[in-house]
Amino acid sequence: MPFDAFADVSDDALLVLYANGDPDAARALNIRLTPRAFGQAMRMLGDRAEAEDVAQDAMLRLWKIAPDWRRGEAKVTTWLYRVVANLCTDRLRKQRNVDIDSVPEPEDDRDGVEGDMQNAARMAALRDALAELPDRQRQAVVLRHIEGLGNPEIAEIMEISTEAVESLTARGKRALAAILAGRREELGYTDG
Amino acid sequence: MAEMDKKTEDFDLDAMFADMRTQDVVPAPDFMARVLADALDAQAAAAPVTVAPRPPSRLRQLLAAIGGWPAVAGLATAGVAGLWIGVNPPASIMTTAESFLGTTVTDQYLVDLMPSYEFAMAEG
Repeated sequence: MPFDAFADVSDDALLVLYANGDPDAARALNIRLTPRAFGQAMRMLGDRAEAEDVAQDAMLRLWKIAPDWRRGEAKVTTWLYRVVANLCTDRLRKQRNVDIDSVPEPEDDRDGVEGDMQNAARMAALRDALAELPDRQRQAVVLRHIEGLGNPEIAEIMEISTEAVESLTARGKRALAAILAGRREELGYTDG
Repeated sequence: MAEMDKKTEDFDLDAMFADMRTQDVVPAPDFMARVLADALDAQAAAAPVTVAPRPPSRLRQLLAAIGGWPAVAGLATAGVAGLWIGVNPPASIMTTAESFLGTTVTDQYLVDLMPSYEFAMAEG
């Protein structure tokens, strides 16, 4: 693959190359960033079509902002996390306003293994519970515990202090536990 | 607070988070192709368009031929001076014209465009 040539090139340098009209930079950025944006959207929304829409929209914004990108001001990934998180929040808000029952069920990626089904149900329950959280709490919890980012980066993405991130994730986690408390059996948790 | 922490542990939220984190979420190849198509379209749209310089207008060509606006100023001055000489020719010019043409220039060859002006000049 010719993209190996860009292995040592930073994201923002690639973006400059892209803005200068290098089609290989477009391919390299697509391979590097699109799966990340899609994964984040998929984990937040649980629906492949919706996640593709969000990721495509976020990447389109990146393509359009590329000529004006100022190197060194922000990490491309931080910017992308923020855009995807905001787009997902908008979608979840609309879904919540329409009908919570119409939220699509998660896909079962692998065929009918019982354990996978239960795991899928747990993921659906977790996703539903996350959808019930206030927007900022959900964003913080997803970025911290599902995307696995550090508090300083989350603070940058959400444009708040690290203390505020800690507070949001702690409150979000407690709220999740409270929401899931009513669904113990459904989740396969029996006593203890 | 302690009770809530216990609840969190009961559900093993961290394990659930980890399960979600490791979910298989590989984007479909056709989706990747769509995003790449967007990228290449946006790149083409943003590329600087090389516009051929427009040919200069006839007025500009004429200006360039005579040396630009300073030349036009000189030309205008010369034109006004010529008009003035035509309207109110100095006596020496009349004499030169008579000697050149070998005849007497009579009034019938002169067009008195502004007689009243001449009068005004005579009055001072």
